[in-house]
Formats: sequence, structure tokens, C-alpha cells
Amino acid sequence: MLLLALLAVPFVAALVSVLARTRRAMETANLAGFGVTFALALMVVSAVLARGPVSVWGGFLYADSLSALVCLLTASVALLCAVYAVGYVREDERSGLFEDAAAGLWQFRKYYSLTPLFVCAMLLVALANNLGVMWVAIEGTTLTSVFLVMFYGKVTSLEAAWKYAIIGGVGLSMALFGTLLAYYSAHRLAGSDTLAGLNWSVLAAHAAELDRTTMRLAFILVLVGYGTKAGLAPMHTWKPDAYSEAPVPAAALLSSALLNCALYGLIRFYILASRCLGAEFPGALLVLLGVLSMGIATPFILLQRNLRRLLAYSSIDQAGIMAIALGLGSKLGALALMLHMTFHSVTKPLLFLCAGNVHQHFKTDLFGKIKGGVLRTMPLTGGVFLMATLAVLGMPPFSMFQSEFLLVRAALGGGHYLATALFVLFGAGIFGGAMFHVGGLVLGAGDGQPAVALRPWRDLSMLALAGVLVMLAFWLPAPLLELIRGAARVITGD
Amino acid sequence: MDFLQNPEFGDRVVTLMAAFVLVLQIAMVGQRSLVMNIRVFAAQSFLLASIAAAIAWYNHAPHIYFAAGMTVIVKAFAVPYLLERLVDRIEIRHEIEPIVNVPVSIVISGGLTLVAYLVGASFYHPEAEPRSLGHNTLAVAISLFLIGFFMMVNRRKALTQVLALLCLENGVFLAAICLTYGMPLIVELGVFFDVLVGVMVLGILVYRIRETFESMDVSKLRRLRG
Amino acid sequence: MMAALFKVMAQLVLLLLLAPLVSGFIKTAKARLQMRRGPGVLQPYRDLHKLLRKGMVIPNTASWLFSATPYVVFLATLLAGLMVPMVAADTPVGLVGGVLAVVYLLGLGRFFLALGGLDAGSSFGGLGSSREMTIAALAEPTLMLAVFTVAIGAGSTNLSQMVAAAIGEQWRFLAPSQVLAFAALFLVLIAETGRIPVDNPATHLELTMIHEAMILEYSGPYLALIEWAASIKQLLLMALLINVFWPFGLPAGWSAGGVAAGAGWLAVKLAVLSAGVVLVETTNAKLRLFRVPELMAVAFTLGALALASTFLF
Repeated sequence: MLLLALLAVPFVAALVSVLARTRRAMETANLAGFGVTFALALMVVSAVLARGPVSVWGGFLYADSLSALVCLLTASVALLCAVYAVGYVREDERSGLFEDAAAGLWQFRKYYSLTPLFVCAMLLVALANNLGVMWVAIEGTTLTSVFLVMFYGKVTSLEAAWKYAIIGGVGLSMALFGTLLAYYSAHRLAGSDTLAGLNWSVLAAHAAELDRTTMRLAFILVLVGYGTKAGLAPMHTWKPDAYSEAPVPAAALLSSALLNCALYGLIRFYILASRCLGAEFPGALLVLLGVLSMGIATPFILLQRNLRRLLAYSSIDQAGIMAIALGLGSKLGALALMLHMTFHSVTKPLLFLCAGNVHQHFKTDLFGKIKGGVLRTMPLTGGVFLMATLAVLGMPPFSMFQSEFLLVRAALGGGHYLATALFVLFGAGIFGGAMFHVGGLVLGAGDGQPAVALRPWRDLSMLALAGVLVMLAFWLPAPLLELIRGAARVITGD
Repeated sequence: MDFLQNPEFGDRVVTLMAAFVLVLQIAMVGQRSLVMNIRVFAAQSFLLASIAAAIAWYNHAPHIYFAAGMTVIVKAFAVPYLLERLVDRIEIRHEIEPIVNVPVSIVISGGLTLVAYLVGASFYHPEAEPRSLGHNTLAVAISLFLIGFFMMVNRRKALTQVLALLCLENGVFLAAICLTYGMPLIVELGVFFDVLVGVMVLGILVYRIRETFESMDVSKLRRLRG
Repeated sequence: MMAALFKVMAQLVLLLLLAPLVSGFIKTAKARLQMRRGPGVLQPYRDLHKLLRKGMVIPNTASWLFSATPYVVFLATLLAGLMVPMVAADTPVGLVGGVLAVVYLLGLGRFFLALGGLDAGSSFGGLGSSREMTIAALAEPTLMLAVFTVAIGAGSTNLSQMVAAAIGEQWRFLAPSQVLAFAALFLVLIAETGRIPVDNPATHLELTMIHEAMILEYSGPYLALIEWAASIKQLLLMALLINVFWPFGLPAGWSAGGVAAGAGWLAVKLAVLSAGVVLVETTNAKLRLFRVPELMAVAFTLGALALASTFLF
């Protein structure tokens, strides 16, 4: 029942927002909806920690530690983004981005009804046991977020939305083919004709008996398909466009929660493939794509001129890191992956929230036009931005240092010397590029604009998330660590 | 009418319809008129539904009838109707201008069919297990998929790319029908729902692109770089 | 020896007598479908009879080629006709190469016809020859592809064996390779017999005519021979289509009962196929000349697909 409620709440919030007549009602529906969702996600986590995997409707919805972790991350990011969005979209209206009151209300309705739907689809990705339903949900995330990318209706937003929809559509049709082949690989098993035949829990239990050739092709297709959604190179081209055109809170959701969901789909198939074919084959492909993603992100970060595109390339880089961690196939690698996913889901939205503040104040994303001085104009945002940038680049004491350190240890332990060397090399390049740009932006001279007052919705949600980031650096709550360990155990299968 | 019960006849009919599906796919590559392209797509979807119905009949698997019915409703009627309305609404020129000219495109499609045959043969071994109805159409399914990809990169107009995406989907559907005799019902339902919503979403996008750029040429979408 | 001679004689008579009837049938059916009365099915016989009695006008620029052409065309077509199964799977003449010999005999006829058209020295003849060869350049490979497809299925290029293989397997005509090859051959039939989307057999309009332009200078008995050969070629192609793709009811050998049944089936199937041709002719408009190669390209693609699908399924 808990799982059903978790899906139903954001859906109801979306319905209320569609029917609501005032902006305030929509905001309330969203905040309340995401608040309840977050609480429910916490309850799911505690249930999973207490009793092991939870399922409902004869295994139709299924939550083990991995699903619970992804749900928790999605729900918490969604809640913070919802708080931030209140201030963000109001500021858009105040600065005259919407033509008139009616158009403004339509924009509010669009944002506040599509976002909960988007979140609902992402939660379904994590909770669906049936791999086919999971595919439907991932396609659902595309369909619900296309209009968020197109939110401002500018020429560039159209272009970004088009690329997002078409590249995503092609990728996902490959993933569907892969899902189908996974289903076919089980056709010799008894009872594969029933609904449960595509259930992950059933397939995973019989993974060793699946048809190997079919599984190999299935994994390749799914890797390309969900890899497109996760923004792994060379299928990453939609990502910078979509991230830089969507409203910032939506971009924050895309960059963390959606990335998690796509990786989650990949992880589920990786588990099947590694149990069927051994960890060698899927692992090698993942490490290859991961290193390639990092390598492609590096020059674009070094030469970037646009703040939000910089964050998008950082996201591609992070997706690459997580793919490498998954591909290592060791227990340490899986632990590093889950830790990294958790920490990234705190850090990347924070970066976007800061970027949103900068964007709304300076009305541009271009480094060349902002000319630095963020720390002076917006001391809070500037400080947090610098801190979050250091965190995402894996600087101690922030927790992404721990996960990346674990990753390097796991890689060296597994004998992936070349991948480790490239990882360090690209990591150094990205560090240099991102620090140069963000450092210049935050600490640069600027043109002496006066400091702005505190803006409660946006600044407080940002500060709250920054607080979480600092907290995680020094103290990982025991239940969260237990959940992460549980999720890593799901991957390695013991 | 006892030949209707004859599995050999069923095999022939399914194979024949699969061949026509492939012919229609190549016709789509060769066809220059946009409206005709949409209609060919509708015909192809209709044939796919017939294949599904034939397999349902010969395997006594009533749940596939549902997939066949949904295909007819969604892909043979609803989607082509929406697309044709869109073509009327945006008053575009009705000619498709592929990047590679038509004869070369057809030759490339033929080559892709060959690749599909090789891929299909690599993991489907008819000798290894008893011959089951429709499995030999796997090569057609894969070639629909590959030709759909080719159409995607070979066309500049937004609407034709949507059509190519739908062809990819048709390839997956044929594979689903012939390999696993359909997917679980709830998944089918979800996939059809996604296809329908997807076409609407893409249709709105195409409409907005047309309004904003005065053209559907997606190669004009080149402002976002780096 | 006697039996073989009998078979040759029987098929010769059948070809010579049946061919004009098929032309007449198509012409009348077309007229009826277009709500006209039409000339009657026997009109081609009357035309031939009249032409054979008339004198001839031979252009004074013409060489011996001009007079040799009608005989070469007529004999080549007739010989090809003897190699095609009509009322029994067993053919009276089985030259080396089987169906390939048929294709090349038809090609020989066309070659001479084009030469004859050029030899007359009028501009129309040259025009017709050039157009005919343009279309043939595309129609002939298609014919070959379709024939190869069937031959691969049967494991032989011998027409008797091809037909026997087709009889042997119950649902063979539903195989994709067969259906696609049939479609390709049907388009070739339309093109080779100068029917409407490609050529209009009923007019002498200089802008569009192809076959008629080529034989414009012929008259009298020569014209009769050429027209007769054209109708035999049409019958031959139709019989090829019918017996290779829908061979039911066709006896294997030349027993009296079998041949009678075979002749009955042949009549029925010819009527059906002619109806198809008539339908195509009435429902389509003639293509502009430079669009004709596109139609032939479609036929060629169908033939190639047919060949591919023998391996695909």
C-alpha cells in the first residue's frame, strides 16, 4: 500500500494543479504533495530496512534497497526543487517573462502539473518490477519533461526540446528492443508467458539459465538506450541543450533524479547480464562508455562559456564516473556507485539552484556577460556555489571525495590501470576547467553591483541543501549507510 | 475452410505479410510525398496487426488479439489521422527531401536488410528448436529497425523524423510479436499509450517549430552548440 | 518421335490461334469496362486476315533487314512459345538454358524489331526504337531477377521442372519470393506488351507512342506477322506467369484428359489475368515518358527484393 501511495500522491498533486484556479493553490498542492511524497519515501526506506524487499499486487511493484534508495533521492530532490521553484517561477513572472496574467497562469499550471507527473514517472521507474513497465515509465519521464524543457517557448528551447524528444525517443526504442530480447532470452523457462515473465525479480532468480547470445544483444541495446537517457557519450548531445533551456528547478531534477533513474534501469539490466554472462562483458562496455563520457566532457568543460551548459557537461562526466563504478563489477565498485549516486544527488541540484540564482539575477548564463563578482553581489549564493563546485569535483572534505577514492581503489584492485589513469587525467582536466570558470564567476572583480537582499524561497532551499551537503561530509546517518550498503548488495547479489 | 486451420498455410501467410511489411518500408524510403508516406505507414501498421491476429489465431493465444486491435486503433488510425491533420494545419510543402537521393537510399535499405538478416541469423537458430510460427520474420523486424534509423538520419524535416521514429517502433512491435508472441498485457497497454502520447507531444513540437522557424527543416536548429 | 511432333504441332496451333483471341478479349473487356461496345473478340483475326491479303509499301531506303525482321521476330517468338508450358507442365521443345533461352529469344526478337524500325529511315522508327530499348534495358534485368528467384526456389532453370516444383508444394505461391516475383513480372508484362501506364496500344500519338512508332513503316503481311508475333509474345508471357505461379490444375504430361483439363484451367486463368491487365489499363493514366523508368525501377526493386527474400525467410 505504501508503494501505491508513493505513486498516487504526486499524481494527485498534478491533478489538483491542473484543476486549480490560482497560483497559490498550485504551489500549495505541489509543496504538500512533495512533502507527503518525501515522508512516504522515508517510510518505504524504513520498511525496506526493517523487513527486506517490499512488494504489492503480486510483485507488480517491488522495492528492495536499491529501489528505496532511488525513491528516497528522487523524493528529496523533488521536495527541495519544489520549494525553490516557488521563488523561481514567481521571479520569472515578476521579471516579465510571461506575456500577461493569463499566459502567466498557464505557465504556472504547466510547471506545477508537469513536475509532479515527471516525479511520479521517475518513482514508477524505481518501483516497477516488470522491466516492460519500467520502460514505459522511463518513456513517461521523457514525455512529461519535454514540455518542461520547452517551458519558455523560445527558439532555443524548441531546439532543445526537439533534440531531447527525438534522441530520447530513438534511444528508448532501442531500450525497448533490448527489454524485449531480455524477455525472449527467458522463453525456455517455464511460466515465462505470464505477466511475471518480464519481472526483474523472476528473471534475476533465473539469470544463469537465460539464453546467452540473446542476453548479450539485449544488454548492448539497453546500454545504448538507457545510456542515452543517462547522457553517456556519445549519446549525450541532448543534455547540455535540455539542461540550459529548462527552468532551473526542472533542470535540477533532470540532472540528478532522472540521471539516477536512467542509471537505475541500466543497473537492473547489468545485474541480469552479469549473472548470465559474467561481469566481464557488460563491465567492459560500461567502463568504455564511462571513460568516453569523461573524455568528451573534459574539453567542453575547459572551453565552456555558458554556466548551465558547464553543469550539464559536469553531469555527463558524473554519469561516466557512475558507469565506470558499475562496470568494475566488484563489491567495492558497487558501494562506490551507490555512495556516489547519493552524494551526486545532493551536490548537482545544489549547483543548479546556485546557477538559477545567478541566472535570474544577471539574466544570462554566459560567463563573458556576468563578468564575475557573484560573491560580492550575492554572498550566500556565491559561497555555496564555490563550496558545491569543490564538492562535485571530489575535493575533501566533501563526501564525493570518499566515493571517488573508493572507486579508484576498486579500479586498481580490479586491475583497470588504463581506465584509472584516464579517470585521474580527465578528472584533473575537469577540475581545472570547472575551477577556472566558477572561480572566476564567484571571486572575479565584477562590475560592482550592490548586494541583493535575501530571497526566502530560493535562498533558504539552497541553504538547506547546502546544509545537507556539509552534514554528509562529516556524518553519514547510520540508516542511510545501511540502505546504501543494501543497494550495493543488490548489485553484487549477496 | 479447413485450410484456415492448416499451420503450414498460416506460416505462409505470416511470412508473406512480413515480406509486404518490408516492401512497404522500402516504399516509404522511396516515396517522396509526405501524405503518401503517412498512409504507407498506416498500411504497414495494419499489416502488422494482421500478422499479430494470424499468430493469435494459429497459436490459440487470445491475448495477442488485444495487441492486434490496439495496433489497428492506435497506429493504423489514430496516429496517421493525427499526422495528416498536422500536415493540413501547418501547410507545408508535401515533398520529402532526403539527404541521400532516392535510388541510393533504396540500395542502402537493401544493404541494411542484409545486415539484419545476418544479425537475426546470429542468435536465432531454426534448426536448434522446433520451427515456430513467425520466428522467421525476425530479420524483417530488425531491418525495419535499421531502416528506421537510416530514415531518421536521412531526413531533414521534423515530421518525417517522427515517422522514422514510428517505424522504429513498428520494428520492435514486429519483433515482439514474432519472438515472444507479444509482451505482457500491461506492458503492451503502456507502450501503446506512450506511442500515442509521444506522437501528440512530437506533433505539438513540430507545430511550434514550424510556427517559429517558418520551416520544418531541423537542420536549421543549430543555435545551441558547445 | 511421333508423340514429340504431335506435341509441337498442338502447341503451335494453340499459340497461333489463341494469341489473337486474348488480344481481342482484352480489347473488348476494356471497352465494356469503359461503357463502350467495342469491336468484338474476333476483331484481331479479321485484322490479320485483311492485312495478309493487302499489298505492301516498302521504303526505298530500307535494306534486307527491313524484310527479314518480321520473319525473325515471328519465328523467334514462336520458338520461345514452344518452350513455355501451356496446357501441360511438359514443354514440346526444351532447349538448353530453359527459361533463359525464352528470355533471350524474346530479346532477339526485340533487337531485330528495333533494327527494323531504324532501317526504315523515318524519324518515328528511330524514336520508337530508342524508347523501346530504354524500357527494355530496365525490363529485361527485372525479368531475369524474377526468373532467377523462381529458378532458385525450384532448383532448376528448366521450365518443366520449375512448374513441376511449383505443383509439388501446396502453398508455394504464397511464399514472399514468389509473390514479389509475380508482382515484378506483372509489371514487366505491362511494359513488354505496351500496355497503359507505359505505352498506349490504342493510339498513334507521336508524343507518347513507343511500340507503334517503331513499326509505323510496316504494312500488309509484314505488319500482320509483327502484330501476330506481338500477341503471341503477350500470350507467352501470360502463360509463363500463370503456370509458374498458379500451376494448379496443370497436368504433368500430355494425356488426353489431362490436356483437356489443362486447357480449361488455362482459359480460366487467362481470363483472370487479362481482367487484371484490363483493370490496370482502365484505372491508370499513361505515365509521362520520363516517369516510365521510375516505374521500371519499382519493378526492378520488387524483383531484387524477391530474390533477397528467397534467402531471408
